[in-house]
Amino acid sequence: MKKSYLLIVLSFLLAFVLFSMSGMAQEPIKIGAVNPLGDITGRQSTNAMELAVAEINEAGGLLGRPVELIVVDSEFRPEKGAAAIEKLATVDEVDFFVGGMSSGVHLAQIPSLKKYKKVTVWAGAASHKAEEAIGADADWYFHLHPWDYQQGASYGVGWNAIVKENPEIDIARVFLAYEEGAFGSDSYKAYAAMAEQASEGKGAFAGVMEEFKGASFKSAAMGGGDYRAMLQQAKEYNPDLFIWAGYDADAIPMLGQAREIGFEPNLYVGAPPGWPANFGRNPLSDKVILYGMWAPALNEVSDVAKHFWDAYVEMHDEEPATYFAPLGYTNIKFLAKGIEKAGTLEKEAVISALKSTKYVSPLGSTLEISPSNIIQNQGFTRQKILQYQDGKQHVIWPFEFATTEIEYPFSW
Amino acid sequence: MNKKAILIILTALAVVLPFFTGAYVLSIFISIFVFLSLSLSWDMMLRTGQLSFGTAGFFGIGAYASALAVANLGLNPILSIILGGLFSAIIAFALGFVVLRLREIYFAITTLALTHVFSVIIRNLSDITGGASGTILPNAIFNGDPKLIYWAILLITFMVIGISEMFKRTKIRFAINSIRNDETTAKSSGIDVFKYLLLVFVITSAIQGVIGAFYAQQFAFVNPESTFSLNFLLLPIAMALVGGIYTTSGPIIGALILGLISEYLKLLIPYGHLVVYGVIIVLVVLFLPEGIFKSVKKLFASKDNVGSDINAQS
Amino acid sequence: MSLTKKQYIMLFLLALIILIIALWQPHALIYGIQRGSLYALIALPLALVLGILGVLNLAHGEFLTVGLYLSYMLYERFNLDPLLSIIPVVIILSLIGAGIYLLTIKHVLKDGHLNQLLLTFGVSLILIEIINIIWTSRPRNVFTSYSYSSMSIGNFSFGTYEFLYFFMAIAVLILLQLFLKKTRLGQATFAVGQNPRGAKIVGINVSYVYLFVFTLAVAILGLVGAVMLPRTAIFPAVGSPFSLKSFALAAMAGLGNMNGILIAGIGLGIGEAVIKSIPGAGGWADIVFFGVLIAVIIARSYREGN
Repeated sequence: MKKSYLLIVLSFLLAFVLFSMSGMAQEPIKIGAVNPLGDITGRQSTNAMELAVAEINEAGGLLGRPVELIVVDSEFRPEKGAAAIEKLATVDEVDFFVGGMSSGVHLAQIPSLKKYKKVTVWAGAASHKAEEAIGADADWYFHLHPWDYQQGASYGVGWNAIVKENPEIDIARVFLAYEEGAFGSDSYKAYAAMAEQASEGKGAFAGVMEEFKGASFKSAAMGGGDYRAMLQQAKEYNPDLFIWAGYDADAIPMLGQAREIGFEPNLYVGAPPGWPANFGRNPLSDKVILYGMWAPALNEVSDVAKHFWDAYVEMHDEEPATYFAPLGYTNIKFLAKGIEKAGTLEKEAVISALKSTKYVSPLGSTLEISPSNIIQNQGFTRQKILQYQDGKQHVIWPFEFATTEIEYPFSW
Repeated sequence: MNKKAILIILTALAVVLPFFTGAYVLSIFISIFVFLSLSLSWDMMLRTGQLSFGTAGFFGIGAYASALAVANLGLNPILSIILGGLFSAIIAFALGFVVLRLREIYFAITTLALTHVFSVIIRNLSDITGGASGTILPNAIFNGDPKLIYWAILLITFMVIGISEMFKRTKIRFAINSIRNDETTAKSSGIDVFKYLLLVFVITSAIQGVIGAFYAQQFAFVNPESTFSLNFLLLPIAMALVGGIYTTSGPIIGALILGLISEYLKLLIPYGHLVVYGVIIVLVVLFLPEGIFKSVKKLFASKDNVGSDINAQS
Repeated sequence: MSLTKKQYIMLFLLALIILIIALWQPHALIYGIQRGSLYALIALPLALVLGILGVLNLAHGEFLTVGLYLSYMLYERFNLDPLLSIIPVVIILSLIGAGIYLLTIKHVLKDGHLNQLLLTFGVSLILIEIINIIWTSRPRNVFTSYSYSSMSIGNFSFGTYEFLYFFMAIAVLILLQLFLKKTRLGQATFAVGQNPRGAKIVGINVSYVYLFVFTLAVAILGLVGAVMLPRTAIFPAVGSPFSLKSFALAAMAGLGNMNGILIAGIGLGIGEAVIKSIPGAGGWADIVFFGVLIAVIIARSYREGN
């Protein structure tokens, strides 16, 4: 009698434990994302994150638990971006933060991020001001996008390599056209500093860059779009390498205006975060060089890139337009790999696991963490040099991902 | 009596809100109070008949004055908010002598042009201001404690509401209203129109400066693109008009409604919520042209004396 | 065009300044005239609506955006050259403009300027977002063989397409003046602009005139959109900055002064271009635009005040 009573109680207990355990197994790991959904970069980055989460869940989730992605729109407004972090932290109670785009929005989010100190893997926001605001102590903060100063330095390394391979190429005189907002001005500061270093035989551009000049312009995205006064200065300077740091809307009008005033540098380089739709279809685009993290051409040399492209197109019925799509995918996959490696959600364990995680990304390069100027956990540092040839983007450098060789010089 | 009780209850609710909600709801209300105060300050200027498009400009220079004082001179953040207001007030005072000569759209476009002039100057003085990339502060005010930040902006908002009511209730309202309704008569009846315009311009600019300074301290950064964003002009105007102009309650109601709706819509419709937001604004203008506050008030007024008014209404 | 003595003096001063700049900065002069004409061309319809209807249309730039996208759509779908798309774009955009007017703006004409401001703000939000949903925020361009054609004088090359803006601005200005002075509808419009109540009493169908003027203004924007497209990257906010610029020109010229808009536009365009072509000073170009605007408005207030 007593035994059977005990048995019933025990079986009930067991059922309860099993039930609650299975209940716990169903409890998802929550990742909170903040992106500007009204913009193509944020929307596609979010799409790519959803793809990554779907793949993870199809493969059985993380640590035996499903993964849930909760997305809040930043609307490109600082106070909305900050409120989004508060919502994800306190209402949704997410375990991790991911997201990106716009240094202005990110700066406003940093006080909130610092308050919660959750493990954060941030894809975008390249301004060194954001790095200063995060500070050296934030071991929970992982930043994937190269900082503004790292991008310029990376291209110096690239050009050094390209010039070594192709001695006919000369980049002694460099002219930087920069949009007058934060993005362009930061690029200018970084280049001016590198030019100064190069003149002393130091830094990434040492040995290739001899002279440097810059001029600002108002981006079409900010209500400008007339580049001729700036281009006229560039033409008078007669650079070997002409670089512009602006936005996608500037790409084609600037090319056309350069052609009409007869400005024909040997290397015409653009460094916007994205390119306009069908840029390659425009005859002006031939032999234009571009700086960036990713190109569809990577599909030819990288299996991960090819897989990402096909899966994205299948899931969302559109093609990834900017590098923010593969970067968003990388953002989730990298975090997931770290969690898997840690084997727990415990913060210290995840942090140390992420620090030693290597992830072969659809951006071509392998993502691994190293310190940057201020913060401890910086992801990518290298950019790529690409070129439009016959309407297609090709990777020129790093040579291990090269899909073709550089066509030189640029001409109309 | 009844009205007073409701007001006291609402005030008390606003004060104790942090004990019942989390950081997210507080951050929404902090934003709402920021825009509410801007909206009220814009409306106060409007009561004199002057349509100002300069709210974003005075907001911006207040923000910069406060941020730079903290970053470069190590000023206490709370004092820096007062400094932000003072700085905007001084600039407004100096500019007022010239700008307040203008009327109607000429005043409007000039105040808007000044906003751009401020932001271009700040962007180009990069040695002092950090230029286009802006300036960051080591720490958010109150170490980012949402409750303290909430109470701080609530206090500021109460003060702004107080000033607005003072303008409505004290003798100054005669001057303000008469300028708006008929400036020539006001002048001939001995009112120093310019003096009152300048007073209101300086006070409202000071409010905008304080709010800008608060915003800079809350998020611990300033940069020209974010700080001089036209959102700080267009949203406050939209709020005042949706709620109802020339009143204190109108902008408050407008800010609460639009602020909550925009956040709620965003969560409800992640893609394309701004279309709905725009439709709501258009519908309010078309169907409640006097703003929500006065329309609702009328509705209640007509309900109170249904019998007598119903025929007259139709 | 009959000009007052004051306007002759203004024109003379402008010509003098232009001559000096032509010798000093010939590029800046050409770019300034081209850009300034575009500003004026876009500002004219805004001034027309502001002058006759008394409505400050905050969605002005967005109608231009819609015009640009319509022309782009015809180019993408039917491979129609942007300049050939002028007629269909003008017709479609006029219908859209008239529709929006009848649905919304018509009902707030008596409600005062502020409600009109808020209403057109709402309309501009809706238009931008609809475009964003259909075409995304990614910029788009068309390619035509002629849009970047250029001319060289010695070592000095410059684009010629944008001179079209200059000729169009003059043509639109002259046609508008002729219309207002010589046609019955135009005279009615002028009368309505002067005194709507009086116009009604003498039997003018005021609401028809309003509809017509608004539609005409939007139609001009359609024309400008199709002509701009070959040289412009389009995205949802592409037209928005032009609302402010147009408003600035209308205020600088003074209400009802259409000639003044062209003069102000070209003057500001040249001023901007001169600053931009001084090395290192490009970032201050906006100050010229807004600084001159403020100076002119305030100077006029002093003159009128005394």
